[in-house]
Amino acid sequence: MGFSINDKRPLPPVGATKKNITCEFCIVGCGYTAYKWPKGTSGSNKTNALGVDFSKQQPALGVWASEQMVNSVTDRDGKEYNIMVIPDQDCVVNRGQNSARGGAMAATLYSKSTFTRDRLKDSQVFGGNNLNRTTWRDATDLTARVLKKIIDNDGPDQVAFKAFDHGGGGGGFENTWGTGKLFFTAIQTRSAAIHNRPAYNSEVHATREMGIGELNTSYYDTELSDTLFVIGANPYETQSNLFIMHWAQNLQGATIEAKKKEFDKGETADAAKIIFVDPRITASITNSIALAGEENVLHLRIKPGTDVTLMNALFSYIHEQGWEAKDFVKKHTQGFTKAANTNIISLNEASKVTGVSADDIKKAAAWISKPKKSGHRPRTAIFYEKGVIWGIKNYENIASIVNVAILTQSVGRVGTGVCRLGGHQEGYVRPPTPKGMPDRENLVVIDAEAAEGNYLAFFAWGCNPFVDSIMGERLSGAFKRRSEIVKKAMSRNIGADNETMADAIYRACKYDGGLFFIDIDIYPTFKTEVAHVSFPAATTMEMNLTSMNGERRVRLSEKIVDAPGAAKPDCLIAATIANALKFLYEKEGNSKMAKRFEGFDWKTEEDAFNDGFAGQGAKMDSQGGPTGALASYDLLRENGNNGVQNPIVKVSNGKLVGTRRLYTDNKFGTKSGKAMFKPTAQPPMPRQVANQMKKHEFWVTSGRLNEVWQSNYHTSRLPMPSTRWPLAPIQINPKDAKEKGIQSGDLVMLYNDYGSVRVVAYVTDSTRSGELFIAFGFPNSPASNIVTDFVDPDTKIPFYKGTAASMRKIGRIEDVANSMSFKSRI
Amino acid sequence: MNNKQSSRRGFLKATAGITAAAVAVPSLFASQNSKNENFYGYEDKTIGSFLKLKSAGEMDFNYPDADSPCKAVWVNGEIKAYSLLCTHKGCPIMYSASSKSFRCPCHFSEFDAELNGQMIIGQATENIPEILVKVKDGNIIAYGVNGLIYGRESNIKG
Repeated sequence: MGFSINDKRPLPPVGATKKNITCEFCIVGCGYTAYKWPKGTSGSNKTNALGVDFSKQQPALGVWASEQMVNSVTDRDGKEYNIMVIPDQDCVVNRGQNSARGGAMAATLYSKSTFTRDRLKDSQVFGGNNLNRTTWRDATDLTARVLKKIIDNDGPDQVAFKAFDHGGGGGGFENTWGTGKLFFTAIQTRSAAIHNRPAYNSEVHATREMGIGELNTSYYDTELSDTLFVIGANPYETQSNLFIMHWAQNLQGATIEAKKKEFDKGETADAAKIIFVDPRITASITNSIALAGEENVLHLRIKPGTDVTLMNALFSYIHEQGWEAKDFVKKHTQGFTKAANTNIISLNEASKVTGVSADDIKKAAAWISKPKKSGHRPRTAIFYEKGVIWGIKNYENIASIVNVAILTQSVGRVGTGVCRLGGHQEGYVRPPTPKGMPDRENLVVIDAEAAEGNYLAFFAWGCNPFVDSIMGERLSGAFKRRSEIVKKAMSRNIGADNETMADAIYRACKYDGGLFFIDIDIYPTFKTEVAHVSFPAATTMEMNLTSMNGERRVRLSEKIVDAPGAAKPDCLIAATIANALKFLYEKEGNSKMAKRFEGFDWKTEEDAFNDGFAGQGAKMDSQGGPTGALASYDLLRENGNNGVQNPIVKVSNGKLVGTRRLYTDNKFGTKSGKAMFKPTAQPPMPRQVANQMKKHEFWVTSGRLNEVWQSNYHTSRLPMPSTRWPLAPIQINPKDAKEKGIQSGDLVMLYNDYGSVRVVAYVTDSTRSGELFIAFGFPNSPASNIVTDFVDPDTKIPFYKGTAASMRKIGRIEDVANSMSFKSRI
Repeated sequence: MNNKQSSRRGFLKATAGITAAAVAVPSLFASQNSKNENFYGYEDKTIGSFLKLKSAGEMDFNYPDADSPCKAVWVNGEIKAYSLLCTHKGCPIMYSASSKSFRCPCHFSEFDAELNGQMIIGQATENIPEILVKVKDGNIIAYGVNGLIYGRESNIKG
């Protein structure tokens, strides 16, 4: 083993620049503090900006910067700086704690000496046989000329886009507003899809239509719950500090005093119990047992795809026992009888379908709803995420959970809530499309259309459709084929001016089946290889950015470094494209069309924020709601890393005041103001998936590893996660591994009628025999290659979590096998 | 799962004694200091007998100073040695001889003793610092640290 000089780190001197940063990764949105100081200067171990005496060993849980929390950067003026990004002790979300992801934020910054050096720095246009660096003006002019031809001749719906709609790095209210305004107000296309799915839809239509927004509680409330009920989620790995800093305290009984203060007089206050619904054993489950003891953890290990039946069984048994919130159901809900007619199921029948014993269903129902010793209703917080959102049928999966929540009044009260746990942070504010989007049942599945040859231009904006989509192998193949047609046309026009080139591109798309592909991102990816134009974007710490976490907490994450090269915030990229189109329409004297592209005279991301979240966006579809107009950068800066929880109520003494928990008044988001029960019949296995099950031996589900974020764009460039996970692992039960002659570290191929993927075997008891689990989001081994084209017809949300495949051992790449630990993660 | 339950009990004990563990663990073996110019100010320190480690399977020591608890383990026919302070938040990690891995009782990060302290799962951003050791005249000698030890800006305090 070699020895590296990694045993010393510089310290920020007193007076170093200090900024608030919200973690750019998961929905929890932990608070961090960033320091910046000129390279070559340093605080001493006794006197430094952290105020910590490092001449002494620091105690556990103290202030410390790990190796990944320090980096060196070069700003656009050529000056070099050291950067330190450490978790904020005073942030109520994480109280000084970092996750494996957020703790590496400093290391994700662009640096000429690390693997982040391949960040996109300039606009690029295809020429010769590859992308060539060029100016913003050149690339936007060409793009605008092609788009104009399409809009004028074929209509705006021939311009498709797939873009983030969220917060955190690669998102934020500024950027969703900028991109939304470009596509919806200016271009006016309806051919839209969201970053990780094939249509422009919500992942939680059901709960919203039942009157309950999906983020309705606070992390503090989860410290007060009697029961935490977790469905299709693995929070230790994917919402780490919510689990560690809030749930763990509750499971250990450390919040009983707070419960006594918040609960009704005389109400029983004990440590929490926790229920998991998951076909796998996860680290969340084993760690909960370590925290709370086996007797307080219930794992309902269901057969995949049977969540609805399990929820219906809980609904039925709770009703049968008379444990429902009778008064609440009577006064504040509707549709119970209609729902009950469909949903009532016997314990025996449910047990047969789900594989969960009747006793365990009874136990779960009691933990969720049986009155406590004091006679009070238990306070149950219900959380769900991709295991059901991307499950067998999105709409019923979510609706059946919310049915249980409103039956038991697990919403609005202290310690309750029925929420998605969330992946990334939120940051939605966009204008509507003038013609309106189709109803959810009639939404266009953009990815399938693009693969079939529809659309003339396609924007992939801050997302990677090669990794996060249905039938990934077919889709990426179609993009490559259609891109090649345009590339050939561009190659035939060597030296052409932009108008001639735009004409050639347009004709290749219009008459030869080509697709003009515009890639906007921070790194080159496989999708960049199909792009004809590429624009470089800025991200967290390189711009001021506002986002909202899983308890609706909005913070201003401040800029502290320059973006690499000529990269810009996405909102300003959108403005640049809009202004280029405006210029072309003005030049031809088309003032009507030029007018559509007005309103992009933003100089900074703050201008986009003031136009969107805090401006006209507040009258449109915004997660800030109408009171978002009260916010400003100055006020958010004042509230620091604790920010304000939406909706903002008022400004008091120069501070924004928000809302801890929603629906405390039992007024829900339906016309009647009552929460709505829904009939939720068990969905059948979709035809496409059933066909694969007939032909292929293994059920394949997928999910996340805590060290790997989204499409692995940053994390594949960091030393620890890239060594730990050089390829996606596939979890295989020891029995199946033995039968197939597979050992941990072997390279195996999964294949079905949709495609194939090579992955690394990780033999573990986490998965049952016959069921495999593949890590999602690896561009170099994309799970999406074997995902079918099925989407829930009611919401167009895919069934990413369920497919079937055959498995074959390929061999062994020693370099991969030797770099990874294959020890148990549960 | 029982292992993890017992680590919960360990957690209470461990966190109660965090400061004490960091400062009060005495050096188990007399140091045999000699300047090693190759490794940036680290000094050679004898941590114990090779044969003793081989029979016991594990051996506690402090390196590069008394405030830094470490453990040498005998795995796959070789000596591996690591800092015992979790690179997440500094809690003392615990060794399991059966799985040849370390587990942190505070936030459940786990590290592979057979693979340079690689994080198996958890919330740390780094693997566990590895203590560089060699055998001379039947004794194990620590002579360097690969990775920053928790709670320090420099492994060598100065």
